[in-house]
Amino acid sequence: MSKQEKKQAVKAKSNSPYKQYLLFGLVLLLIPVLVHIGVIKYSFLTIIASILIYSIVALGVNLLVGYSGLVSLGTAGFMGMGTYLAAYFTADLKLPFEISLIISVAVPMIIGVVTGLVSLRIEGYYLAIATLAISEILRKVFVEFDVVTNGFSGKDADYPTMLGFFELDRNSTFILIVVILIAVMFITHNFINSYTGRALSTMRGSEAAAQAMGINIYRYRLLSFAVAVGYAALGGVLYIHFIKYTYPNAWTLLFSLNILAVIIIGGVRSIPGTILGAFIVFGVPDLILKNLPVIGDIDGLAYVFNGVLIIVVILLYPAGLIHFWHNTKMKLAKGRKGKEGNHA
Amino acid sequence: MNIFIQILLNSLETGGIYALASLGIILIYRTSNTQNYAQGSLSMFNAFITTFILIKTGLPVGIVAILGMFCAFFVGVLVDRVVISRTLKMHSVSKQIITLGLIMIFLGIAPMIFGTDPLQFPRFLYGSHSVLGATISYNAIVNISVGIIIMLVLFFMLQKSKWGLSVRATASNDVVARMMGIPTPLITMASWAIAAALGTLSALMLAPTTSVNLSMMDGVQVIALLSCVLGGFQTFYGPVVAAYIIGTVSNLLSYYVSSTWSDSILYLLILALILFRPNGLFGKKIVKKV
Repeated sequence: MSKQEKKQAVKAKSNSPYKQYLLFGLVLLLIPVLVHIGVIKYSFLTIIASILIYSIVALGVNLLVGYSGLVSLGTAGFMGMGTYLAAYFTADLKLPFEISLIISVAVPMIIGVVTGLVSLRIEGYYLAIATLAISEILRKVFVEFDVVTNGFSGKDADYPTMLGFFELDRNSTFILIVVILIAVMFITHNFINSYTGRALSTMRGSEAAAQAMGINIYRYRLLSFAVAVGYAALGGVLYIHFIKYTYPNAWTLLFSLNILAVIIIGGVRSIPGTILGAFIVFGVPDLILKNLPVIGDIDGLAYVFNGVLIIVVILLYPAGLIHFWHNTKMKLAKGRKGKEGNHA
Repeated sequence: MNIFIQILLNSLETGGIYALASLGIILIYRTSNTQNYAQGSLSMFNAFITTFILIKTGLPVGIVAILGMFCAFFVGVLVDRVVISRTLKMHSVSKQIITLGLIMIFLGIAPMIFGTDPLQFPRFLYGSHSVLGATISYNAIVNISVGIIIMLVLFFMLQKSKWGLSVRATASNDVVARMMGIPTPLITMASWAIAAALGTLSALMLAPTTSVNLSMMDGVQVIALLSCVLGGFQTFYGPVVAAYIIGTVSNLLSYYVSSTWSDSILYLLILALILFRPNGLFGKKIVKKV
């Protein structure tokens, strides 16, 4: 290995985000400790956990929107399905957590793939409309199929029991969520940088060029949609085991829109961006806006906040807020240079 | 037989509601090149305004409805001026997501101004008449005829007036239309305004049977989008005809098959039908060029 190559290898290693992800995970693991000591409020843990779960879901949708340019409006339906299946398998059928996890992720994925098979043959936007319809149908199923779903009153589940004997409590379930999130971030990072990911990137650049290079667009679109649905269902399983309650009205179009808001605001095609977006979309309304005097009590403030933010970010900052700091620094540097040039 | 006629009459009414909403969506699609997912929530918001005017002023329902449509017209102009006119050069996915952002804004603002309780909007007329053994309310007659008249006028304008020519020119090629001296931004703005007014009318027709609430237009929005898919995005009349077909099939399904699952079956039927006619019933195949 020449010196040059060695240098490059070292550089690549230090650029790899695994360490950052792990560090992020470790910081998150501190939260239960802080709650235990009493530095932060008990409810804080629930908010953070749901943000992390939504991040998992949004990572999948980010793959779909970012690389294949498709929009799915069925995220809520598929995630809701994950929650109901997991609740049914563990609470009613008493299946082990691991088996329930596998089935609850697989079944929505199969439904997603069938939807994709039909709608991806046609123009891209059909997927949005088809998933919207499927999501509505699923919500109807949640309400009407009350043997399994318990209708409008919703369904309960408990913290998961790992390997059949290891019963988790609130804190250890939180740790499980953090571990799974970090794992999902690793997997997504590797996926994007694999052969498949490069094919997806080519597709994003130019569909015609990708096709000419022998990339089967239909298959890769289907794959990215299947991944998005799988992540959504995984998020659903974690949600039901942490929040321990699910009901039909949680899974409306608005939820799917919020997930889209996460990736648009945070940054399309960026893993840290997705996490940032989830903290902004789900965290800021819960942690900050609600605690403000006077305006904190207004209904619908969170929706307006997110809606306006989506539009403003798309209009002014299409790459997402994750690049905000970097870009501002660049702009400042450029501006200074320009000024100096003028003086000269 | 009586029941069948009854169903057909009802279908004319529901189909009309869907047709008005889908005509708005197709107008916007053709001029702004984006699926407008916010059509339903825009109409919902304006239905709230209209009901609010009704409660505050106590004017006759018909006049209030016309006032409401004017309000919707201005809200449409506002949406176009503030947001949509800045997105001209954007990718269509970004535009779609912007309309999704609009949904959130309308859903958030409505309860801020009008409160979270559902409001009641009365019928235009009360009483009913029986035709061939089926009863039809005067209100339904008003709804059906107003809907059809407005649509006929619009189609006539699209085909014969200068405005219609400009809209069709903008729809077929935005850039060339601008070169020919057609003020395309103005045309797009007018489309948004008219679409908002049409959607509001459909919301007001629907309001007496449900109530004016945040999710009143959700079903209509889905069906209006699906009727655009079924009718094809290439023509103006396709979605309207498809909306009437969907209205009829939906009513037939809910009577003869199952009232709870009629919508779900309908969605699946349409999704399956698209497999065989990917460009819709009246659509033409568009050859993509590299």
